[in-house]
Amino acid sequence: MPELAVEQVVKRLGGTEVLKGVSLALMRGEVVALLGHSGSGKTTLLRSVAGLETPDAGRITLGDRVVFDAGRGIEVPPEQRGLGFVFQSYALWPNRRVFDTVAYGLILRRAGEDEIRRRVGEVLERLGLAALGDRYPHQLSGGQQQRVALARALVYQPPVLLLDEPLSNLDAKLREEARSWLRQLIRQLNLSALYVTHDQVEAMAVADRVLLLRDGRIEQEGTPQDMYERPSSAVTADFMGTNNRLSGRLTAVQEGRGRLEGEGFGLWGTLFSPIGVGAPATGFIRLERTRLAEGPGENRLAMRLETSLYLGERWEYLLTRGDLRVRAWGRSALPPGDRWVEFPPEDLWLF
Amino acid sequence: MRAHPVRLAAVAAVAVVVLAPLGLVLYQSLLNAPFFAPGAGLGLAAYRFVLADPDFRGAFATSALIAFGMVGIAMPLGGVLAFLVVRTDLPGRRWMEPLLLVPIFLSPVVLAFGYVVAVGPVGFFSLWLKALLGAVPWNLYSTAGLIVIAGLTHVPHVYLYTASALKSLNPELEEAARTAGAGVWRVALGVSLPLVAPALVFSGVLVFFLGFELFGLPLVLGDPAGILVLTTYLYKLTNLLGTPSYHLMAVVAVSIIAVTLPLVYLQRHLLRTASRYVTVGGKGLAARPLPLGRYRWVALALVLAWLTVTVIVPLSGVALRSVVRTWGEGVRVAEVLTLDHFHELMEYPNLVRGIVNTLLIGTLGGALAVAAYAGLALTSHRWQARGAVLLDYLVMTPRALPGLIAGLAFLWIFLFFKPLTPLRSTLFSLWLAYTVVWVAYGLRLISAALYQVGPELEEAARVAGAGQMRVYRDVTLPLVRFGLLGSWLLIFMIFCREYSTGVYLLGPNTEVIGSLIVSLWGTGALDLIAALSVINVLLIGAGLAVALRLGVRLHA
Repeated sequence: MPELAVEQVVKRLGGTEVLKGVSLALMRGEVVALLGHSGSGKTTLLRSVAGLETPDAGRITLGDRVVFDAGRGIEVPPEQRGLGFVFQSYALWPNRRVFDTVAYGLILRRAGEDEIRRRVGEVLERLGLAALGDRYPHQLSGGQQQRVALARALVYQPPVLLLDEPLSNLDAKLREEARSWLRQLIRQLNLSALYVTHDQVEAMAVADRVLLLRDGRIEQEGTPQDMYERPSSAVTADFMGTNNRLSGRLTAVQEGRGRLEGEGFGLWGTLFSPIGVGAPATGFIRLERTRLAEGPGENRLAMRLETSLYLGERWEYLLTRGDLRVRAWGRSALPPGDRWVEFPPEDLWLF
Repeated sequence: MRAHPVRLAAVAAVAVVVLAPLGLVLYQSLLNAPFFAPGAGLGLAAYRFVLADPDFRGAFATSALIAFGMVGIAMPLGGVLAFLVVRTDLPGRRWMEPLLLVPIFLSPVVLAFGYVVAVGPVGFFSLWLKALLGAVPWNLYSTAGLIVIAGLTHVPHVYLYTASALKSLNPELEEAARTAGAGVWRVALGVSLPLVAPALVFSGVLVFFLGFELFGLPLVLGDPAGILVLTTYLYKLTNLLGTPSYHLMAVVAVSIIAVTLPLVYLQRHLLRTASRYVTVGGKGLAARPLPLGRYRWVALALVLAWLTVTVIVPLSGVALRSVVRTWGEGVRVAEVLTLDHFHELMEYPNLVRGIVNTLLIGTLGGALAVAAYAGLALTSHRWQARGAVLLDYLVMTPRALPGLIAGLAFLWIFLFFKPLTPLRSTLFSLWLAYTVVWVAYGLRLISAALYQVGPELEEAARVAGAGQMRVYRDVTLPLVRFGLLGSWLLIFMIFCREYSTGVYLLGPNTEVIGSLIVSLWGTGALDLIAALSVINVLLIGAGLAVALRLGVRLHA
């Protein structure tokens, strides 16, 4: 039985449907990332699970308990769902010390004083906050605040942890460290978590499974590898990585490959969705798969290198051929001039 | 949307306390005799009588004239003051703001009395000037004098809204115009003014509306020359016919409300459209003030002149009058100094009760009112349903009742509903009327505090397992403690200042300073009025000092 099941949830805000019938299941010990642009409905979905939003249709079940069912008029208020929620802004109460903040959930559950002290101590210890119990939020760094918010949500051992962009308020460097730390913690505690983010790298790093939301619907779901390497739609391909995009028309098909012809170029790629010969098509290729080649060859185009950008750990080349613009990565600075660019057919995905 | 029973109950309770007085006034206006009279029947006789009265028509015209005149004075002056204080390097602009708001907290009847004793025909300043010039160059007791004084004392209302609009302007909008090559005045007129125009229009409507509510100023300043406005016409009607003429008074009340109620709803509409222009894109950066150059001192002189006329002249008049035995031509202040008036005050039990009651209604009554407003604000907190809009309209409605009429309506409520009659002679009647009259103001204060609390702070507690009431107790209220304290201080000042609401509720045990001054004015007891006024100003001044010391924002 899934720890959390969301079935056909619809949510309207004003005149627009923010969620258009979303379903998902979260198994015990699993981390699912809800990925999407702002406005895709991912936070609304998370808040609906928590009970902070009332969906207009659908059903939400926690374990064997139905907490929301529009058809049967069931709506369990958020305080009775027993979930943990980590807010994007952390939502730490400015008038409470760390210890009291973390203890609040236990006090509400009428735990004894000794038990509260023990369990809060354990959680603070585990999250590296043991020395900070007497501090107020404004006396903490961003990273510490983030961990206090997490401690508050973990202390009463909720069956499901909901995280709303928990790392987005951290600096870029700190965010990368927190990402691996959080992944490790979730693994160690064997938590079931629903994790909202707009950063596909973060989603892939933290989650066992990724759900890509777009316009209130699930565009695709799968393991991070599935999503990155076998996108089922142009939207997913576009969202999951950094791509070159080539527009044209499909002129020939053979053995799962298709020929994409655009203005001034023709290339073979792999068909990722059924397209008829003669229909418009778009080719996607990841920047890291686009290669500069020594000379002419199969699936290579002569292009002009306009400029090289220094990005620290690599160089980025900007190449043009008529209206076609392509970016590629390499290890060294190259002077402007004519180059050959290879688009390996298995890496050029046609949609 | 779920309709929470507590919320529905709150809406129902507000509907009763707001609509009952209003309904009773309307009902009474349609009777041909007071409601308690045995033969009272439905009819339009009262309307025929009042509308045919030339005095009523004259009063209506005067009210309109004064309202327009006030807008003509207060709007430009308030706008200029706001721009000078908020956006320029006017000397001393930091400490000036609280001073500019002082007239809002002073009782108009005290101010009016201050003008009489300072610049009236035999006022201190008039006589000193007469000794110098041989004549007094102004006539206070004229419609023009009334308009000037009413206009000047309502400048702070315009200032308040324009200044807060100016403060919320993104300074980058002005900086963008300056880098594009526009000079200081070009920026002020071309960029700032259009952006604060909605706030300016809103405050203009507000002042016009307050013009129709004016009571203390015309009562004191219009009386000697026989100038009547709608409220003073109503007040005269009480005494004119000997017997209670409730039906006629109700007609006058209805005709005032017919003007003010649409204006209140217009204000709501304007406030909503005004928020379209709020550009809180700024990162909290204070804009660099625009340099006034050599006009700095001209600007300062303008501000100080206004402060002198609206605050210093009347207050010094009141203070001086309270410590002289007598005053008139040929009297030297140094020879007539005395503190007797304050001693004399203590000999009248009703005046002593008035002072005690004012303190009680300000402190305890203020606290209870804040508690009531907070309860109401919490039930409608983050409520976005049709009921919330209904509540909003209900809460606004008492704004349309000038204090005088609200007091009258509550008097009738206590007389009309027999079980309530015993409460009429207790402070409760006064507290209820005050609380209802100021409900819109109080709610705005508290809602402003509540909206400082981020919704996630409350949601975090919900998810952690706290029910809605528990969230209010554990999270919301502790976080708005300071806001509640500030609201209480402001309500204290407002309740101490209040005078017109108590006029008809005045009786043994329900005396307050404001209504006592109004009734003493009819008897000409200037010594006692002066002493009471000083005490009133000191009470409010103490509240103001504490509020400023604690850093309370003086407006919602």
